[in-house]
Amino acid sequence: MSHDHSAEQTSPPGVSRREMMLRVGGTLAAVGGSVWAAKHLYDPNGDAGLPVHEKETLKNYFAPLFDGWSPSDPRVSVARGAAVGEEIPRETIQKMITAALGPMGGMSRFIAKGDTVLVKPNVAFDRGPRMGATTNPDVVAEVIRMCFAAGAKRVLVADNPIEKAEPCFAKSKIREAAERAGAEVFLPANTSFAPVAIRDRDPDPTRNEALGTWEVFYKPLRLADKVIGVPPIKDHNLCFASMSIKNWYGLLCGRRNQFHQAIHDIVSDLGMMMSPTLVLVDATRVLMKNGPTGGKLEDVAVGGVDGRPCIVASVDPLASDAWCLQHLLGRDPANLRYLSLAEQKIGQRIDARKRAGPAAEGRVVADGKRFASRDWQAYERQGLIKEQSV
Amino acid sequence: MRITTVRILVQIVVFSLFIAFCVLTTFRFVDEHHGQFWISKFLEIDPLVGIATAISTGTVYKGLAWGLVLLIPTLLLGRIFCNWICPYGILHQFIGWVFNTRTAKDRIDSNRYRGIFAFKYCILIAMFVALLGQMSLAVLISGAAVGLVCGVAALAIVMTTKSKQTARNLLIGVAVIGIIATCLGARQLHKGDWNGTLQIGLLDPICLLHRSFTAAVLPALNMPTAVQQGVPGVFSGLGDNKQHIGAWLIGTMLLALVAANLFIPRFFCRVLCPLGAFLGTISRFALWRIERDPHKCTDCDLCLTSCEGASDPQTQLRKSECFVCFNCIEDCPHDALSFKFVAPKAHEVAGPDIRLRSGVLAAVTGFLFYPLARAAGKTTKDFSASNLIRPPGSCEEFEFLERCIKCDQCIRVCPTNVLQPYHFDLQNLEALWTPVMNFRMGYCQLHCTACGEVCPTGAIQRIGVEQKLGLGAYRDVGPVVLGTAHYDLGRCLPWSMKRPCVVCEEVCPTSPKAIYTERMEFLERDGKKVVRSATANTVTVGELPRPGEFEPEPAVFRANQFRGDGTTTYCLEVIHKSGVRETHDIKRNDADTLEIDGQFDQLPQPGEFAVVKYEWKVPKIDTNYCIGCGLCEQECPVVGDRRAVYVTAEGESRSAREPSRERNRGLNLNKLVEAGGTRRDALFSLTGLIATAEPKPKSSSGCCGGGSKSSGCGCSSKAPTAKSKSAAEPPTIDLRSFLNNRNYG
Repeated sequence: MSHDHSAEQTSPPGVSRREMMLRVGGTLAAVGGSVWAAKHLYDPNGDAGLPVHEKETLKNYFAPLFDGWSPSDPRVSVARGAAVGEEIPRETIQKMITAALGPMGGMSRFIAKGDTVLVKPNVAFDRGPRMGATTNPDVVAEVIRMCFAAGAKRVLVADNPIEKAEPCFAKSKIREAAERAGAEVFLPANTSFAPVAIRDRDPDPTRNEALGTWEVFYKPLRLADKVIGVPPIKDHNLCFASMSIKNWYGLLCGRRNQFHQAIHDIVSDLGMMMSPTLVLVDATRVLMKNGPTGGKLEDVAVGGVDGRPCIVASVDPLASDAWCLQHLLGRDPANLRYLSLAEQKIGQRIDARKRAGPAAEGRVVADGKRFASRDWQAYERQGLIKEQSV
Repeated sequence: MRITTVRILVQIVVFSLFIAFCVLTTFRFVDEHHGQFWISKFLEIDPLVGIATAISTGTVYKGLAWGLVLLIPTLLLGRIFCNWICPYGILHQFIGWVFNTRTAKDRIDSNRYRGIFAFKYCILIAMFVALLGQMSLAVLISGAAVGLVCGVAALAIVMTTKSKQTARNLLIGVAVIGIIATCLGARQLHKGDWNGTLQIGLLDPICLLHRSFTAAVLPALNMPTAVQQGVPGVFSGLGDNKQHIGAWLIGTMLLALVAANLFIPRFFCRVLCPLGAFLGTISRFALWRIERDPHKCTDCDLCLTSCEGASDPQTQLRKSECFVCFNCIEDCPHDALSFKFVAPKAHEVAGPDIRLRSGVLAAVTGFLFYPLARAAGKTTKDFSASNLIRPPGSCEEFEFLERCIKCDQCIRVCPTNVLQPYHFDLQNLEALWTPVMNFRMGYCQLHCTACGEVCPTGAIQRIGVEQKLGLGAYRDVGPVVLGTAHYDLGRCLPWSMKRPCVVCEEVCPTSPKAIYTERMEFLERDGKKVVRSATANTVTVGELPRPGEFEPEPAVFRANQFRGDGTTTYCLEVIHKSGVRETHDIKRNDADTLEIDGQFDQLPQPGEFAVVKYEWKVPKIDTNYCIGCGLCEQECPVVGDRRAVYVTAEGESRSAREPSRERNRGLNLNKLVEAGGTRRDALFSLTGLIATAEPKPKSSSGCCGGGSKSSGCGCSSKAPTAKSKSAAEPPTIDLRSFLNNRNYG
C-alpha cells in the first residue's frame, strides 16, 4: 500500500503516452488474438468434422523373401524328434528346429543382419508349460537364440493374452525364457495399441468379413522387420483348432470377446491380415481336448496323434495349419471352415495385386507376395513338404 | 549433527521406504519374492492394529506381534513414532512446512494447545468399545469381575493421591486396561460367541495412508499418458492401470486431511489420530521428556514456533501430546529446554486431557455403533441378498469384519483389479472400504493367492495355490469356492438372440470346464412350412395355409440361407402324417426348395409338415466345478447393463459351515458328492504339479434332450467316430468333447 501511495505522488497526472499505447495495444492484441484463435478453431460440424487420420497398415513380412523363393523350395518342413516321454530335452528341440529349417536354407535365410524380429508365441492363459495351453518356453527360447545367431539386432516377444498379461507370461515361463535368451518382452499397454486398417473398407458380413479397422497391438509390429509365429497346436471348442492363424488373435486388442459370434470369419481375416516371415509350429505338447485352456495332463499328448514331438517350419501358414490339423490333431482340414475362408480371402488379395500390377507395389492391402494354400496333399505331390526325423 | 537434522533424515528414509514398498507391492513383486511384503511391516509395527484385532479375535495374528516393539521406545521416549516413523505424520509435517503462510506470531498461536485436541481420545474410546460388540452374559460377568478388581485397585491409588487430575487419569487408565483385559480374557473363555466391529482402519494413519495410495493416488498418478509411456529401459509406468470404486472419495479424504494443515497444523495428528491417542495414553509413562528450566525461561513463547504436537513446552509440558520432534529445544534462544530423564512430575500434564463425561459419551457412541450398524441387516438377515464376494481365503463374514482393517493392501497387490474397496452403503456401513470382488472390473486369477499373502490380520487367510484349488492335501476339502456363475438366458446370445458365442466356455479355467457347451436345437423363425412336392433328397415347401386357404403360397428363402457353417448346422425335420419324424441336415437351398444331406427314409407327401431348425452350441454350467472366479463374467461380450453370465455368492465355501440360516450362503448344488461328503477327486489338477486319475465318466442325461428327434443329434449313429482322435486318449468316450467335435469323422 505504501508503495502505491508514493508512486501516485511522484508520477505526473494522467498517463504517459508510452503507458497509454501499451495498454491500448495490449487490449487490441488480446481482441485480435481471440478472433484469430476463434477463426482457426471454429468448427461447424462438431464431432463429425474431425479429420480422418491416416490409418496404420501392416507390412507383408514375407515380401522380402517372396521373390527369391524358387518354386521347388519347400514351403512346409517337418522335423520329428524321438518319442522320449513327456519332458522334451532342450537339445532335441534345438535339433528339431535346426532340422526343420534346414531344407529351407536355415534361419539365416529368414533373418538378415541387423533385423528386429518379433517372435509371437501363444501365451493366452494362466497355465504352466506342461498344460500345453501355451507355447513351450524352450521352443521360444531356442527360436530367439537362433534369431540372434543369424544376426538379429533385437528380438521382441509379444502377445496380448485373454487373461491378465503379467501372470500369463509368468506362469507359462515364457517371460523368463525370453528374457534369459536376450529378447524384450512386450506386454500390452494402452500406449502400444493403434487402430490398423486390416482391409481398406468396412467389412461386409454377408461375405464372411469381420475386420475393417481394428485396434491392434501395433508397437511391436511396427518395430519389427521380420515376424516369426511360434504357435502351439490346440483343440478349440468353438473353432475346432487353434494353430498358426488363430495365433494372430493375440495381436488384436479391443473387444475381442465379440469375435466368437463369427469365429470363422474372424480367424480367416486374421490369416489374411498377417503375412509372417516364418511360422514355426511348436508341436511338442499338443492340447488334444478341453481346449483352448486345457488344464489337465491327460488333455495333452506329446506330438499329438503321431506321438513324437515335432516342429513344423512353414512359409505358408495355411498349408501348415492344414498339415498340422491332419497329422497332429488327426482331423480333416476339409471341414475346417476358417481355412477355406482364409484361402479364399488371401486369393482375392493376390488376384487384386495381379490386376493392379506394379502400381500396387508396397500397398499392403493389395500385397499378394505370399503363399496361401490349404491343399497340403497337392504340396506333398509337388514335393514342397519335407519330412525328416532327428 | 543437530538432532532435528537426524530426525529429518530418518523421516526422508522412512517415507521413501513407505512409498517404495507401496509401489513394489504388485503381482510381479509377489511372484518373485514369495512371502516378502515389506509394506506389511508398517502395519505390523502399528500396535493399534495388533491390540484392536487381539480384542476382536482374541489372538495376535502372525506379524502383528511386532507391534510390541513399538511400545518400548514409546515407554522410554514418548510418542516418538508420530514424528519420526509415521509416514502419514511425515506427510502432514512436510505439507505444513511447504505451504506455511503464517507469520512467526501466527505460528506461535497456531501451536498452542486447544481443547479439541482431546477429540482423538474420544475416537479411540469409541472404536475400542465398538469392538466389544454383543457381549454375552458370561462376558459381562467376567468383565464385571475384572472391572471390580481394577476398580478397587484404582480406588486405592486415588485414595492415596492428592492431585484430582492424576486421580482421574488413573481411573481412565485403569478403565482402559480393564476393558482390554476383559475382552482378551472373555474372548479366550468364550470363543466365537460374540462379534465386535473393527473400525480402527477408518482412521488408523497407516491404514488410511496405504488405502489412499492404493485406491486413489497411485492409480491417479498412473493415468497420464506420459507416465504410461514411461522412459524406455528406465521406468515403465507404475504398474497396472487400475481403477477403484469410490477412489474419488478416498482421494478427497486424503486431500481434505492434508489441506486441513493450513487451518490447524497437524490437524489429523492432533485431533483425529486414534493411534496417536493410543500412544499418547501410553507415553504418559515415558522416562524421558522435554523439561523447561523456569529460571532460564523468559516466557517468550518462541518454543511454540514449530512445536508439532501443540504440547505446551512453554509451560507445563503435556506429555501425551508431545511428538518428541525436538524443535522447541532448537528454537529456544535461552537454552531453557532440554530432553530430560525422569523429570519432575510437578512440571508436566501427564495424561490425556479428556473429561470423564466426554469419555463416557464416546463409549456410549461406540457401544451403540455396533448394534446400529448391524441392525441395518446387510450382514445378518439380508446377508443372502448382498453379493459380498470376498477374496479367496477370506474368513466367514463376521470374522472377516472382526479382522479387516481396510488397509487395502490386497487391492494393491491384486493383479487383475477385481478387488475393489466396498462402497458407501447405508445398509452396510461396517464394510466400508473392505475388499470385495467386482467381476466387471476383473476376475480372480486361478493360480494367484497374493491377497492372502499380504493380508496383515488374517481376514484373508494365507492359503497357497494348492489349498485354493483343492489339490494335494486339500483334495478332500475341495477348492475355495467364491460363488457360482449364473446365466441370464434372456441376454445370452446363443440362447435367445440367434448369435453363436460361448466365450464363457472358452475362457472357463477349471478342468474339466465348469461351463460346457451342448449342441441345442432351435426352431428357425417362421421355420414351420408345409411340403408341396418332394424328390428323394429335395423338398419344395410352402407357407402354412391360413384358415380357409387350401393351396400353400411358395416359401421365399434367400439362396443358401440354411447352408450353415462350422458353428451352425441347419436341419430339416419332416413330420409324416403317420406321426413318424425324420431329421436331416440341409445341404443347400434356393427360394423354396431345400436339399438335404442323404435321402429321405420316406418320401415326404404334399401337405406334410417340414420344419427348419438350426443347431449350435449353447453354454451350460456344471456347478460341480464352478469356483466363481468370474472370468466368464469378465469376458462375456454382452456388456450393456449386466453380463449374460454373472457370478453371485451362492455356494461360496467361506460361509458353508455357518450354522445360521440367514448367514449360510453355501449351497450344496452339486459341489459335494452325494454321499460321504468328500469332493470328487477329479477336480482341479490344474498346475500340473499333481497328475490325477481320469475323472469318472459323468452320467450324461443324454444329448437328445428326451429323444424328440430320431437322428439329428447323431448320438447313436455317429458314436464310433470319436475313436480316431488320439492314441494317447483313454478308452472312455468323453461324451462332451465328442458332441462338440461331431463335425470330425
